[in-house]
Amino acid sequence: MPILEVSDLQVTMGPQQILRGVNLKVEQNGIVAVMGSNGVGKTTLMRAISNIYQISGGDIIFERDSISNLGADKVVKMGVCQAPEGRQIFANMSVEENLVLGAYHQDKSHFNEDLEWVFELFPILKERLKQQAGAMSGGEQQMLCIGRALMGRPKLLLMDEPSLGLAPLVVKSIFDLVVKIRDAGTAILIVEQNAKAALCVADYGYIMEGGAIILEGPSEELAKDDRLTAAYMGGHAHA
Amino acid sequence: MDTYFLMQLINGLSVGMIYALIAIGFTLIFGVLNVVNFAHGEMYTIGAFAGLVCINMIHAPLAIIIVAALVAGGLSGIGLERIAFKPFRRFQDEASLKSRAMREATLLSSLAVSIIIKEVIQHFFGAEMQTIPGQYMLNNPIQVGPLSLSSGQFLILGSSILMLGGLQYVLYHTRIGLSIRAISNNPLGAKYVGLSVDKTIISTFAVGSMLGGAAGIMVGLYYGAIFPTMGFTPSIKAFVAMVMGGLSSIPGAVICSLILGVCESLATNYLTQGWSDMVAYSFLIVTLIFFPQGIFGSRRERV
Repeated sequence: MPILEVSDLQVTMGPQQILRGVNLKVEQNGIVAVMGSNGVGKTTLMRAISNIYQISGGDIIFERDSISNLGADKVVKMGVCQAPEGRQIFANMSVEENLVLGAYHQDKSHFNEDLEWVFELFPILKERLKQQAGAMSGGEQQMLCIGRALMGRPKLLLMDEPSLGLAPLVVKSIFDLVVKIRDAGTAILIVEQNAKAALCVADYGYIMEGGAIILEGPSEELAKDDRLTAAYMGGHAHA
Repeated sequence: MDTYFLMQLINGLSVGMIYALIAIGFTLIFGVLNVVNFAHGEMYTIGAFAGLVCINMIHAPLAIIIVAALVAGGLSGIGLERIAFKPFRRFQDEASLKSRAMREATLLSSLAVSIIIKEVIQHFFGAEMQTIPGQYMLNNPIQVGPLSLSSGQFLILGSSILMLGGLQYVLYHTRIGLSIRAISNNPLGAKYVGLSVDKTIISTFAVGSMLGGAAGIMVGLYYGAIFPTMGFTPSIKAFVAMVMGGLSSIPGAVICSLILGVCESLATNYLTQGWSDMVAYSFLIVTLIFFPQGIFGSRRERV
């Protein structure tokens, strides 16, 4: 029984159809990666799951229930939190306020416990707690972005391009933490251009092109596929 | 410093506080929606008329009258949002949130609502100044040393400071304040953490319009002037203060309102009453030419 099942998902913006029937599944406790180059609809897919965009067809099932028309706030309440593309942190507010906002729908009683968990993953945030979020480095902002999503006690964590604009070392440390977050019991759907990094941590992968899934399979198999490496992952040049 | 100057200074501060209460409403709404609400001056008028109705119908004490103005302001703010702003927020994607079309549409729709409110009030109450029973007027002289002040100045200064304190508390110590600040800072980010943007916008309108309504009744009772178009001039002044303050900075708007009030009041030493309005407009022009970001707006991140 998958925790998330997206079937025949379609999203239209004005005259353009961005998603042309996407099917994918995330298993309980799984890490699933969606890969593809710029502009194939990966972020649109993530936004549709979070109900930021309205879908025009298909369905999104989370734990047996359809969440495709709930509204962004309800989806977060149900336990689907996203670390979005471009981070979208509250730059003028303190790191602490960002984390409090991440826990907006959560009971106060487990706030400290959740905060400790975020500090365990990202110790730097504890030092920066009173600092303005926008004044931090890109890597730290990415950590805050993930930390904020974790404060919402996600059952499913959506991560949109966590490696974007970060140094390779930082990327590695973030992907190490992805595994740790999964091991703590959160399923993860990750969208990446950096396919090599994503396939290292994911158990299953999907390749997207032109608004649809064109190939899928367990990570080891996808990683070995030379045609895909050449076509969608920019060869071996990428770290 | 002569006593006349000091009296004008205190007078200027209380006028400035009124501008500040109105400017905060503009600023809050601009922060959350990135649009200017042209019907905001009517919230001020509605507050004054709600207070007047209370005076005439139930002869309520002053505290109740101010509460009535707050409630009337808040409710009309909510109504205004539903009628003039909500219908233009159908599209929630990033492109429409940033689009100028939505901004221009709400400029006109709020202006339309403003005209309708004015006409409706005029229809029921008439265009002339309303008579206010003498015992409700806030111009009992109070002698402080050589200064002759009036009770209205104290009431306006005191309750404005109280309301500013209350606003500060709401913004920094309550959940709704947290979401107002979060949405002003990053509306898309606010959706990702699951804030209800719609509810927050409504409460922003309610809070801003409450302050405007309270300002209206206080000014009405102080100057003894309640009439359907009374909201126009103060809201233009408050708008100037908001622009000077950098559009979305509350402290900026308050400080600039006070500067504006004091300058206008002192200018009456040298100019006639009618010409003292020029002060605000000159400030606006100078600000737009030399500080297009506003005097306190340099830290603003949003474009």
